Amino acid sequence: MKIWTSEHIFNHPWETVTQAAWRKYPNPMTPSIIGTDVVERRVVDGVLHTHRLVQSKWYFPKWTHALIGTAKTCFASERSTVDPERKQMVLKTNNLTFCRNISVDEVLYYEPHPSDASKTLLKQEATVTVFGVPLSHYMEDLLTSTISTNAGKGRQGLEWVIGLINTEVKGIARGTDELLHSTRRSIDEVTESARKSMDEISAQAAKAAKAMHIT
Amino acid sequence: MSSVGEDCNELKQQYDACFNSWFSERFLKGQTDDSACAPIFRIYKECVKRAIKEKKIDLREIDPIFETGIEDDNANRSAGNHQAGKS
Repeated sequence: MKIWTSEHIFNHPWETVTQAAWRKYPNPMTPSIIGTDVVERRVVDGVLHTHRLVQSKWYFPKWTHALIGTAKTCFASERSTVDPERKQMVLKTNNLTFCRNISVDEVLYYEPHPSDASKTLLKQEATVTVFGVPLSHYMEDLLTSTISTNAGKGRQGLEWVIGLINTEVKGIARGTDELLHSTRRSIDEVTESARKSMDEISAQAAKAAKAMHIT
Repeated sequence: MSSVGEDCNELKQQYDACFNSWFSERFLKGQTDDSACAPIFRIYKECVKRAIKEKKIDLREIDPIFETGIEDDNANRSAGNHQAGKS
């Protein structure tokens, strides 16, 4: 089992960050997330509870396919709560489809920064467990580093959405069509470069595997 | 951003737009009544549940918070399951 944690401060109030969190996808930094659906949602005692199904594409190096399957489209289950009074948003995600051998659990906490309420603190934890697979430590390391890379991209993605929301709020005199057009173009450009960098990671992992004589 | 069911995409866009404005304009301002988007959510949710069933995605246990007996979704299910081969 591998546990990975991280903290990040957004220079935006909690209300802005939570609005952006719902609109986090699509963003150009995390092209791997291809779909979200709300399965259940309800307000209970002033707290918003949501269950979402998240579709993603993970690009694992080829040599791992025999161990964990080709994982083309993955489904994850995301359960969240938003408590507007305590100002806390918690999202718990666990994967549903990698295969029976791997479990990835992730928790995100968004809270106002304890010493500066105009900022938001994000705490992130991921637990990776690989069962009954040869080289499972190596696999856990690989998955943990993939999550770490994705988490960084996720934070950049959220900043991007916040920027978009702030632009909307300011009501900039640009036409919506033009904004959409340029947004789409920048998504395409960044998607391309993100793919490239994942390919590089894959190539390096394959090289490492070759060095370990396991291909 | 797409829905798990291709035919649910338009409902999803409509629902998400409704939710986003409800969340920022009402919920964060202390109004917890969520009936504003309820009609579109009901239709969208039905569509998603159908797609999940067709694609045989196992959502595992549903959080007990949602099991308060309001929904009854086994009542009028059609038996149109696609028996896709397991990969």
